[in-house]
Amino acid sequence: MIKKDLSVDFLGVHFENPFLLSSSPVDNCYEMCAKAFDEGWAGVAFKTIGPKHFKVDEVSPRFDELTKEGTPFVGFKNMEQIAEHSLEENLHDLKKLKENYPTKIIIASIMGTNEQDWEELAQLVTEAKADMIEMNLSCPQMTSHDMGSDVGTNPELVKKYCAAVRRGTDLPILAKMTPNITDMVPAAKASMDGGANGIATINTVKSIANLDIDRKTALPTVDGKGSISGFSGKAVKPIALRFIQQLREAAGMEQLPISGIGGIETWQDAAEFLLLGATTLQVTTSVMQYGYRIVEDMKNGLMHYMEEQGIDHLSEIIGAANKSIVPVDSLNRDYKVYPKIDWDKCIGCGRCYISCFDGAHQAIQWNEEARRPTVDIDKCVGCHLCNLVCPVGAISTGEVVMKPGREGNPEDIKIESPRLTHF
Amino acid sequence: MTKKYETEAPGYTMTTVMEEAARCLLCHDAPCSKACPADTDPARFIRSVRFNNVKGAAETIRENNALGAICARVCPTEKYCELACSRTGIDCPIDIGGIQRYVTDFEQAAKMDILKQGKSNGHHIAIVGSGPAGLQVATTMLTKGYAVDIYEKNEKAGGYLTYGIPEYRLPNDIVEYEIKRIVNLGANVHYNTTVGEDIMMADLKANNDAVVVAVGASESKVLPMFADNANVETAVGFLARVKEAKGNITDLPENAVVIGGGDVAMDVATTLRRLDVKNVTDMAYEEFDEFRASKKELKGTREAGVTIVDGYVPTAVNGNEVTFKHRHIDSEMTIKSNKIILAIGQRVNAANLGITINKNEEVPYAGYGTADAKVFVTGDIAQGDKTVVWAVRKGKEVAEQIDKMVMGETPAADLVGGNE
Ligand SMILES: Cc1cc2nc3c(=O)[nH]c(=O)nc-3n(C[C@H](O)[C@H](O)[C@H](O)COP(=O)(O)OP(=O)(O)OC[C@H]3O[C@@H](n4cnc5c(N)ncnc54)[C@H](O)[C@@H]3O)c2cc1C
Ligand SMILES: Cc1cc2nc3c(=O)[nH]c(=O)nc-3n(C[C@H](O)[C@H](O)[C@H](O)COP(=O)(O)O)c2cc1C
Ligand code: SF4
Ligand code: SF4
Ligand code: SF4
Repeated sequence: MIKKDLSVDFLGVHFENPFLLSSSPVDNCYEMCAKAFDEGWAGVAFKTIGPKHFKVDEVSPRFDELTKEGTPFVGFKNMEQIAEHSLEENLHDLKKLKENYPTKIIIASIMGTNEQDWEELAQLVTEAKADMIEMNLSCPQMTSHDMGSDVGTNPELVKKYCAAVRRGTDLPILAKMTPNITDMVPAAKASMDGGANGIATINTVKSIANLDIDRKTALPTVDGKGSISGFSGKAVKPIALRFIQQLREAAGMEQLPISGIGGIETWQDAAEFLLLGATTLQVTTSVMQYGYRIVEDMKNGLMHYMEEQGIDHLSEIIGAANKSIVPVDSLNRDYKVYPKIDWDKCIGCGRCYISCFDGAHQAIQWNEEARRPTVDIDKCVGCHLCNLVCPVGAISTGEVVMKPGREGNPEDIKIESPRLTHF
Repeated sequence: MTKKYETEAPGYTMTTVMEEAARCLLCHDAPCSKACPADTDPARFIRSVRFNNVKGAAETIRENNALGAICARVCPTEKYCELACSRTGIDCPIDIGGIQRYVTDFEQAAKMDILKQGKSNGHHIAIVGSGPAGLQVATTMLTKGYAVDIYEKNEKAGGYLTYGIPEYRLPNDIVEYEIKRIVNLGANVHYNTTVGEDIMMADLKANNDAVVVAVGASESKVLPMFADNANVETAVGFLARVKEAKGNITDLPENAVVIGGGDVAMDVATTLRRLDVKNVTDMAYEEFDEFRASKKELKGTREAGVTIVDGYVPTAVNGNEVTFKHRHIDSEMTIKSNKIILAIGQRVNAANLGITINKNEEVPYAGYGTADAKVFVTGDIAQGDKTVVWAVRKGKEVAEQIDKMVMGETPAADLVGGNE
């Protein structure tokens, strides 16, 4: 079994690997976290702890899933709020976890309704020996407007609450941001101005995943009614990655410390978040679906990736993709690349023909006798929809040509990496 | 001409292996893993495939099974992992062998070198026979730091992997690749060396901490009525000849009769058909409801166009004419054929090896010890199933025992074989 050092340093804290459970039911109590540590997770952002006066009262059932063609959990919708256990129990668990797992990292996720709450909670979890605090400014289904994602969209409130937490602790502070916002930068900046040291993102995306079309309401239905609530899992990964890139693009935030969250399930997902600048990675939905054991393949796969990349520390790739992701108006628009169809691999299904006609530029000619496609160079715009729909990988990137009147040498153009075209 | 004999069925692609892995239920306390005799841990490697970690999957297979690429192809999975698979409660089991083949093919393509030779511990072992059992013992011992010498009667290593299982089921390239990896780990193989003739057990014992006898059942059984008949050939003799020649043999008959109802008979009959022998009849002792050959092999044999007649035993031979009688009904048939191939079982040749073999062609007691505290048995001659994956299991188990003995954790007396 390959052995590589996966450890990372984040906000002055050493993590044996970047994989953490994000704050949610997956790290709701001592026993759960202990089992997760035993299976290889480096730390937890313990289920969000609220103030004593806030009474949690959950609905049942509380989840729904988005599926597509037989694949479950493409996305996951939940209507859960914060920790159901009492404040005392939670503080007790934090303390016991740190005592029994001194090398694992305990992040206390907290949420208050006002400055005093935030400050007090910060003090309490600091006394309970947490290593770090995560401020949940982003839960989209709180029953009070003083809490959750409504707060996270308001930079002034964010700054005020961060300052309150800073008064209550000298631990590193992560501000957990909501994606239910057009631009995350102002809120993130406000949190740093208030005293936060880094950003955790994303929390769940406000959603309606499915309707009960007979009862005519959103799923899950609670006594005949549904609600808008948070969406997570694989389907939100693109949204999370986009926000993280935008944070690191913002002036002055190029080195922003980030804990990346949203749809992480495999080592590739992990690598993507790291390449965009996340140093630690947090996971919920895929653990809810498959269990803590998924960390084994995330860790092992990441080690193999390090080996392939020839690196000894993850720090060497953190943020490595930020610079090569540029605004769409600065992309090279001088050339196009035609698809190349391998007739030996082709099984004659005609899906490329259908998609090119109905969804692109009618550039694939279909030979009815041979049941084989040919690309009409005059009509093909090089969009590569055909490549994406082909079930056997018979279509790859082929000849590169300069558009009429444009400068440049087609041979200098970088097309897809072998990892993506290799079947 | 030999294309049908040489060509293995196509394996999965990156896309189709994921489709198959996606059918896996990722069970808790997975029954498939518990049912693998060699602890190859299918649930674990399928999960790795599922989460895009094919290299990790290869590590799981390789660390548990030195012959993972071979087991992927030849395991009677219907009796082991796939029999236990929970997916059967929905439709049909996961194609565990197929996924394992994809992963080990990937391992080979990516030139992964997963196993490493252990730091030398100054101890030596000798292995008699380089079949799957001997190869697994060698691998386990090499990773633990032992020096390993393998003595092999034949010109090539592999036992029935090299000289038995036909090319279309187990390409020789795969066998060679697996053996090469073990040689690269540090195994020292002495070819064309028959222990008991060219070198004696006493010498091996004198120069090693332990000697493992893994000679398998390398000879064919022959019924007395077929002795000295020019039309008769043994199954393993025939299969070895064809495999060595890659199917290019010149004395193919126009028609043939195969006698036997196990996997070896199925291999012979299918091989004949794949080499375009027109009429191949297999006469089996067992009736179909008690058939010994695996379902997969039986199906393949039928698809190859072999006529299988069940429940008949040969009662008389006259040159190329064999008479068979049904075991239960009053029925008799005589077949004339210019080739008669006997696939009625294999026997052990343990001459001068100092071990006792009973009529089941195995040692007369459970376990791996023998009357001599330094000598061990494993593979087909030890009790348990006689399959490649069991050879791997028995190889791993005996290696652990020997290591414990050499390291002084188990008193040697505890390992002496049971009451003979
Ligand atoms: C035709 C055929 C098809 C089969 N198909 C399958 C299958 O599909 N799946 C499956 O799981 N199993 C199959 N088997 C069974 C499987 O091959 C055996 O269970 C397995 O090979 C046993 O391994 P082994 O190492 O004990 O012995 P063997 O493979 O028999 O190897 C023994 C080795 O010892 C050597 N040897 C013998 N005597 C001496 C000596 N005195 N000195 C030095 N070397 C010696 C032999 O030359 C040989 O190389 C098949 C067997 C046959 C014959
Ligand atoms: C059932 C459920 C409960 C959650 N509870 C919390 C919470 O208490 N505090 C919090 O900060 N985030 C909470 N989240 C959000 C997750 O921590 C995470 O940010 C989000 O689910 C995206 O990650 P994922 O795609 O890996 O699930 C919850 C998510 C789910 C699915
Ligand atoms: S998952 Fe567990 S707690 Fe939830 S409804 Fe099912 S049995 Fe009950
Ligand atoms: S989609 Fe692929 S397989 Fe289908 S016709 Fe086009 S090239 Fe051939
Ligand atoms: S028993 Fe079958 S379904 Fe369950 S883990 Fe094993 S292969 Fe998958």
